[in-house]
Amino acid sequence: MTDVSVDHGKAVPLLEIEDLRVRFELPTEVVHAVGGISLEVAPSEIFALVGESGSGKSVSMLSVMGLLPSPPAAVSGSIRFEGREVSGMSGRELNRLRGREAAMVFQEPMSSLNPVHRIGRQIGESLRIHRGVTRSEARRRAVYLLDRVGIPAAASRVDDYPHEFSGGMRQRAMIAMALACDPKLLIADEPTTALDVTVQAQIIDLVRELQAEYRLAVVWITHDLGVVAEIADRVAVMYAGRILETGPASEIYGATRHPYTSGLLRSIPRLDRQVTSRLAEIPGAPLKVSQELRGCPFHQRCPLGQDDCGDALPELEAAGAPAHRSACVHRDQMGPSIELWPAGAAGEPRTYGDGRREVVVSVRRLEVHFPAVRGSARSRRRVVRAVDGVDLEIERGRTLGLVGESGCGKTTLGRALAALVRPVSGSIQITGRPIDYRSGRRRVVQMIFQDPFSAMNPGMRVGDIIGEPLRIHRLASKPRIQERVLDLLEQVGLPPGAHGRYPHEFSGGQRQRIAVARALAADPEVVVCDEPVSSLDVSVQAQVVNLLADLQAGNGMALLFIAHDLAVVRHISHEVAVMYLGEIVERAGRDRLYGSPLHPYTKALLEAVPAPSPAVGPDRNRIRLTGDLPSPADPPPGCRFHTRCPVAVEGLCSIRKPELEEVRPGHWVSCHLVSR
Amino acid sequence: MKGLIDLRRLGQYAAAAAAAVTLNFLLPRLMPGNPLVLIAGVDVGLLTPEQRAEIIARVGLDAPLWQQYLRYWADIFTGDFGYSFRASRPIVDMIRDRLPWTLLITGLSLAISAVAGVILGAVSAWRRGSKTDLGMLSGMIALEALPPFWLGMLFISIVSVQWGLLPSFGAVTPASGLVGWEHIEDILRHAVLPVATLSILSVPGVYLTMRYSMLETLGEDYIRTARAKGAGEGRVLFGHVARNAISPVITVLAIRLGFAFGGTVIIETVFSYPGLGRLVFEAVSGRDYPVMQAAFLVFTVAVLAANLAADLLYPLVDPRARTS
Repeated sequence: MTDVSVDHGKAVPLLEIEDLRVRFELPTEVVHAVGGISLEVAPSEIFALVGESGSGKSVSMLSVMGLLPSPPAAVSGSIRFEGREVSGMSGRELNRLRGREAAMVFQEPMSSLNPVHRIGRQIGESLRIHRGVTRSEARRRAVYLLDRVGIPAAASRVDDYPHEFSGGMRQRAMIAMALACDPKLLIADEPTTALDVTVQAQIIDLVRELQAEYRLAVVWITHDLGVVAEIADRVAVMYAGRILETGPASEIYGATRHPYTSGLLRSIPRLDRQVTSRLAEIPGAPLKVSQELRGCPFHQRCPLGQDDCGDALPELEAAGAPAHRSACVHRDQMGPSIELWPAGAAGEPRTYGDGRREVVVSVRRLEVHFPAVRGSARSRRRVVRAVDGVDLEIERGRTLGLVGESGCGKTTLGRALAALVRPVSGSIQITGRPIDYRSGRRRVVQMIFQDPFSAMNPGMRVGDIIGEPLRIHRLASKPRIQERVLDLLEQVGLPPGAHGRYPHEFSGGQRQRIAVARALAADPEVVVCDEPVSSLDVSVQAQVVNLLADLQAGNGMALLFIAHDLAVVRHISHEVAVMYLGEIVERAGRDRLYGSPLHPYTKALLEAVPAPSPAVGPDRNRIRLTGDLPSPADPPPGCRFHTRCPVAVEGLCSIRKPELEEVRPGHWVSCHLVSR
Repeated sequence: MKGLIDLRRLGQYAAAAAAAVTLNFLLPRLMPGNPLVLIAGVDVGLLTPEQRAEIIARVGLDAPLWQQYLRYWADIFTGDFGYSFRASRPIVDMIRDRLPWTLLITGLSLAISAVAGVILGAVSAWRRGSKTDLGMLSGMIALEALPPFWLGMLFISIVSVQWGLLPSFGAVTPASGLVGWEHIEDILRHAVLPVATLSILSVPGVYLTMRYSMLETLGEDYIRTARAKGAGEGRVLFGHVARNAISPVITVLAIRLGFAFGGTVIIETVFSYPGLGRLVFEAVSGRDYPVMQAAFLVFTVAVLAANLAADLLYPLVDPRARTS
């Protein structure tokens, strides 16, 4: 590669953004999505743009590609690609840039692929547009590219439609499509957020490999600090449309000079640290910018924030190491010895009561099946074995974490517990009594769902939402309902004024608090939490996790905590079960499971989790799971995991089915290769 | 197997058709009053007792209900829809005379409104928010509000009477003795106004569906992907948006056909067009129940057939709908 030198002897950056501002003029409001950011991306570097939803990270990169719809978007400032101004380009010039010199990969690979065109055609389309190749040549290249991004038997899959690919394969196809014309810049917008952690690890490896091979510059947009540490050379942290801190990844992670970055790093639970009794919390919710910023957008949530922070907009200024810049007037007060965000003490999660143990939930040989495919008569007898012979117990005041890839049956198990689906066989007992499927009697098990907004009737006031279980189960006399609702609001940390307002008036974190209050209103024995924090912003997740743990310590409810985020599960759980294709493959106390996992699947899951620290990041020599979860309608014979298992023994694992056995006291594993 | 007709889907249509036939059989027999009137028409009063007895015996009104039912099915399969005493003709002959004319004008108008609605809807959505879009949108909503008979009469009074351009009634010029191409031209000249009226009435439905569906599709992530690839406007519109947007239109067209048949009752009457719709009008005004029932059965089967066609067409457009 040749460095193009200019007057001051510096390499010309591939991408230069100067004072970019994006405003959305919507009928009801004006949103300042990007409020004046400047950044540079050098050729063949990996640059991460980190921020929570609404921070402006995607919007700023979409405007680089000229992909924002205008109106309502109003873009100003300068965007230069190899010195050429992008913002003034005509549609034709822009089309020559897109796909040929700069390509983009998006978050949802399913919806980002055209459902009515074959994969190969969609990959070849860029070549047809920019290189004018023939149809057959485009197809030939598509096969090559699919093979290059790791699609097995690419030649036979090139004519598949997107719905015939798995999630991971679709994202690989998207990457193949982006790389078709050898672009210089790849913008990846949350490319692994919709994927399982095992597939995420595969995609990160792939992008890193391709980046080195093609000398690509990559802008990786994400909210996940763990992913960033795995992949990035340089990082910019965005908040409320501003860059608050930028610098080499090692500086950002090791010696951050901005309270927001430090808060993010402290508030996420991490597998490489000891578990604390409480997570550090950033108070409040991310700012939505409806007018030009006058001061630091973070100062109201900031432990260093003072009155004058709101008076002037801080610019990025040198902080510590070279190329490390922070937009905080108090940046020099920060250092390794100062703890801005106190967490709780290390150790066990707080426990309820006097330590006497009482089984609240007891599940035996539970099986939940669904019909495999709607429609054709032939497949009617085939079933999806979503939950296939599960035993578990949860004790009073304790939390069972349930982890596994999407499609493993963990959500179905939770729904069965809440009597929302009927098992085909097996039993569920709550405090010794079988579940009652009559709708009015399901009080003892309550649920908290992933998306608190769609789980609430938008036309009901918060007071009525929380009061509904009280009315259904006649838990309070009419005049007392309001009193009880106010009491619940206080317990979940919401102001009494929330009572008369509607769900849409609240932020995501507040809505999840409402959902928690609604679950508590029924005075349940068990609460099933299905991915309760995964739709929330990183800075808010800790608040909800702490809230659930606090409430449990107070009222002794048992929790089934279903999540794909292994670090969050580790933080809150007393015991953890790992599910694979409808079965529990390993179950143990938290520290045992995370400290010395025995099942190869558990090990692979744990190794796939990116650690938010660049030091341990890229060089780890790890087991990688290949491929995707097989179809639960047609599980592999023998050990269901043997098709993806790195240590499977031919003639044993593929034939004989292992039983879940207690190999050590309290540690259950289902694997032929684990001896007692 | 890919593309194979879904047998269960066919079964559903067969069941729906059977239900319609059964209903058609039961209605006259369950209604109060003399079923003979409903089966043979109000003209039974003019019949001799012998003729009555003959009808009762022929239709089998004296037999048990289940025998009558089986017989009814047998009659339908042998093309025997009964006899119109008012017209003194077998009903099947009357339908055979009338059906082609109705198929001609509904088929043509459906094709025209499909093409026009899809194109106009696509243009409108592509230029959403522009004057073209808003103009077309309000025009279409106004068109949809027009009463069908009024539009037909407007055409007659202006195009036929004032300008004298096109014939105002009938399907052919009576006793003209035209043959070959001239005969075809004559037929087409007679069809212009009814087809135009029917088309204008069903364009708005197709247009609105297409426009909405296009707007939905334009917001999809894969359209952004196409733009990110560097696809030009034409490629985005024809290569990515159009085919995805057209699927809901297919369903609407099938439903539209039902309306089109209903519309022919008025339109064919206004233009004195000798189709099935006019036959229904004549049967209603003459209280010729057997003819009405036969015509309804034909309408029902036609609507079911159109829906079946839409169902079979859908997988060709959307690969996700193919059975695997």
